[in-house]
Amino acid sequence: MACALLTFTPWRLAKRGRVADSLQEFYRGKMDIMTRIKISLFAALLAGTALTAAAPAIAQTRAETLRHVTGAAINTLDPNMPGSTREAFGLSLLTYDRLVSFGRKQLDGKWVFDLDTIRGELAERYEVSPDGLKIVFHLRKDAKFHDGTPVTAEDVKWSLDRAVTARSLAAGQMLTGSITKADQFRIIDQHTVELTLPQPDKLALPNLATVYPVIFNSKLAKSKATAEDPWAQEWLKTNTAGSGAYIVESFKPGETTILRRNEDWKRGPGNSQAHFKRIITQTIPEASTRANLVERGDADIVIDLQAADAADLEKKGRLKVISTPQYNAITFVSFNTQMPPFDKIEVRRAIAAALPYEDMFKAALFERGKKLFGAEWAGGKAPDGSTFPIVQPLKTNLDEAKRLLTAAGFPNGFETTFSFNVGQAGTAEPMAALLKESLGKIGIKVDIQKLPDAQMSTLINEKKVPFFTEGIVAWLPSMDYFYRNFYIGPIRWNYSSLNDPQITEWAQAARFEGDKAKYAAYGLQLNTRHFELMPQIPLWQPSQDAVMATSIEGYTYQFHRQIDFRDLSRK
Amino acid sequence: MKLGATANRAARRFISSLPALFGVVVFTFLLMRVLPGDPAVFFASGPQAGPEEIAMIRAQMGLDKPVPQQLLLYLRDLSQGQLGRSLTTGQPVLVDLRNRLPASLELTLTALLIALVAAVPLGVAAALRPGSLVDHIVRFVCALGVCVPTFVSGLLLIYVFYYLAGLAPDPTGRIDIFMSQPPRVTGFLLIDFAIAGDWEGWQAAARQLMLPALTMALFVVAPLARMTRASMLASLGSDFVRTARSLGLSRRKIVVTYALRNAILPVLTIVGIVFSTMLGANVLVEKVFSWPGVASYALDALLSSDYAPVQGFVLLMASIFVLVNLTVDVLYGVADPRVSVE
Repeated sequence: MACALLTFTPWRLAKRGRVADSLQEFYRGKMDIMTRIKISLFAALLAGTALTAAAPAIAQTRAETLRHVTGAAINTLDPNMPGSTREAFGLSLLTYDRLVSFGRKQLDGKWVFDLDTIRGELAERYEVSPDGLKIVFHLRKDAKFHDGTPVTAEDVKWSLDRAVTARSLAAGQMLTGSITKADQFRIIDQHTVELTLPQPDKLALPNLATVYPVIFNSKLAKSKATAEDPWAQEWLKTNTAGSGAYIVESFKPGETTILRRNEDWKRGPGNSQAHFKRIITQTIPEASTRANLVERGDADIVIDLQAADAADLEKKGRLKVISTPQYNAITFVSFNTQMPPFDKIEVRRAIAAALPYEDMFKAALFERGKKLFGAEWAGGKAPDGSTFPIVQPLKTNLDEAKRLLTAAGFPNGFETTFSFNVGQAGTAEPMAALLKESLGKIGIKVDIQKLPDAQMSTLINEKKVPFFTEGIVAWLPSMDYFYRNFYIGPIRWNYSSLNDPQITEWAQAARFEGDKAKYAAYGLQLNTRHFELMPQIPLWQPSQDAVMATSIEGYTYQFHRQIDFRDLSRK
Repeated sequence: MKLGATANRAARRFISSLPALFGVVVFTFLLMRVLPGDPAVFFASGPQAGPEEIAMIRAQMGLDKPVPQQLLLYLRDLSQGQLGRSLTTGQPVLVDLRNRLPASLELTLTALLIALVAAVPLGVAAALRPGSLVDHIVRFVCALGVCVPTFVSGLLLIYVFYYLAGLAPDPTGRIDIFMSQPPRVTGFLLIDFAIAGDWEGWQAAARQLMLPALTMALFVVAPLARMTRASMLASLGSDFVRTARSLGLSRRKIVVTYALRNAILPVLTIVGIVFSTMLGANVLVEKVFSWPGVASYALDALLSSDYAPVQGFVLLMASIFVLVNLTVDVLYGVADPRVSVE
């Protein structure tokens, strides 16, 4: 409709031009009065019809469309594909349903996802057995895939089998919830599926709400499977077979993705539908262009602006800026605790005492985030054990730093490198410059290395970077999950290569601890020991600045750090 | 007869460039593997990202085999017209390049056209009155165009024409997102819209093209104008122009028919070089205007060590370079018949 009207415009413009010419003649007084009246009437009529015909129709479709701009790209329609981008995860949340999804809660006045409330999505409801070993999911009887076939227990079983068996990203994630084998899923009847766990696991249900265990239309997918590719992974990269709130209308990787609402989908909170009829996600690599677009109202929402632009737009006050500290993420300065001189605790603590925290926070983030430094811990003990990270008792104290460095046997300091990847340069560069200056004062000479992203990942994986900055994110931000995934074992995410028997023991024990008080007691020990060992210096949790038109409502910070467009509506 | 000679020469040129193309393929292939950064590690982003996941991606990319074998496999795929799959976009590289090349070509050709239309008269005007005010103004314009980096002039144009004045459409690719694309025939939007007879769409696409093309044109006006001026000066000072003057030919005939035609040869060479450079080097313009072209595609792939797209891109650029040189060669023959006599 809009397009038909738009193609109408050149004619309209041409007519307007002609009318203008006639009006000039009109003023030159070369026409009789009747012609003049006719012409002015005609002009008014023309302008009127053109406006009334075009404006409401366009405005309406525009209001029902959400235009989202981002610097990154969607590279697959199947979130399980190795190499999937975060934006691809975000898309899969819309095109596919999972059995369950996260609820939301308020944190300092901002809506964020809630790990502790799990509500049904494709499952109408679920029951956990008293011993915590069996979870039974009752599927919605009215749920249909995009092609109209009903969602059955068989589809669920096939999809979850795929998650744990296929060579994809899912298996690694699912095992953090004790879900590892296909025989853990059992079909009870056409609309009931049972999951059996080897031990009660707090993260089993939350894992089913992440982006990997999506429910596929198994009949459709199986028809596209081949002998080499039994799980139809190749086909699902560029096609969807889901039941989600949106249907892919066009998918141009690295350019645009256009989604159309699935009118049958009523699986939002309170059985609601998604609000927007169309969602356009467009890749705009230049951050300042994204800021211009949203400021001029051409784009409706953006979440990856530079901190400076977001601060500027917030000051201007014409847009809604929701700035949520990413409470499941941490930016830190990390040491490789196996590489000299950083194998010495005193060296690590000396550096921790020498960093100019406040200045770094200002220069890198424009103070847009939550500080993880500057706390007071009575007696050096962590005040809270139920969560991670907690604010650390870190302060800039150059005398103390100098003393510690001397105690470590480096009275005259040493030389080292400090690395970060190009992708983070916006925040890491100013931070690194301040770090270099400050460490110079205690005799440590720092050479800053800015590495291409792939090279940095490779070096980190090979544990060859002595001193660097990075960020980590946990989809399921429970205290033990952080310790188990980032501070234990020879895995890549153990950035500091920490190998401390105590931390390992407590973190593993906390995983299956059902009692809240005992869990928090483990947490106290872990948080205290973590600070004492100082494998990393936690700096802050950067904010996710969601900048949007004032008419957009319902924005919620999600675990995958993307927008869940099903949350949003327009006033 | 003359045509035959030109075609003959073009064919010989083409065949002699094949070993060079092969060399480029092998060189890029090896270079990518020598560069630091393991794509398998980069793309392994799961919560475990353990050795298994990395090995899985490595196998998927074919990186688990020894390099000579990888090279042979790659050459085999090439001979079948396959360029591999990109991990950054998840698509076959050939499809990506086919979708994106018209965008780059359309932008570059438009920019080149604008640059030529501006540069040749500027160069001629400067050459006709060397040392005059006109000459100095041209020199100043050229210096300005060269020393302002494209991303600065691009952002500046966006700021003025889109953000402040609201005259230009939003700088987000080839066409307004709310408009429908024409049926794809050539991939060049201006041509496809014209074929479809959708002049409203044509206008929208042209408006979208204006700022990025202008940005690129600004940058290449200088070499073209300077080259035109220099070779016009030489041409104007030569014997045949003096003869033409002494014979009392009209000024127009002397300048356009005799001097300019003889001066255009070096300009053609520069046009060929400038065109090839623009196509590959306009990555900044593509990034600033979110233009879905091949250069920004290759840069993204390079940053994430995604081998296949980079190799495909370099091969494409090398092929285009060969083609452009061929075209310039043929045009030499048209501009100056003496060239075909080797």
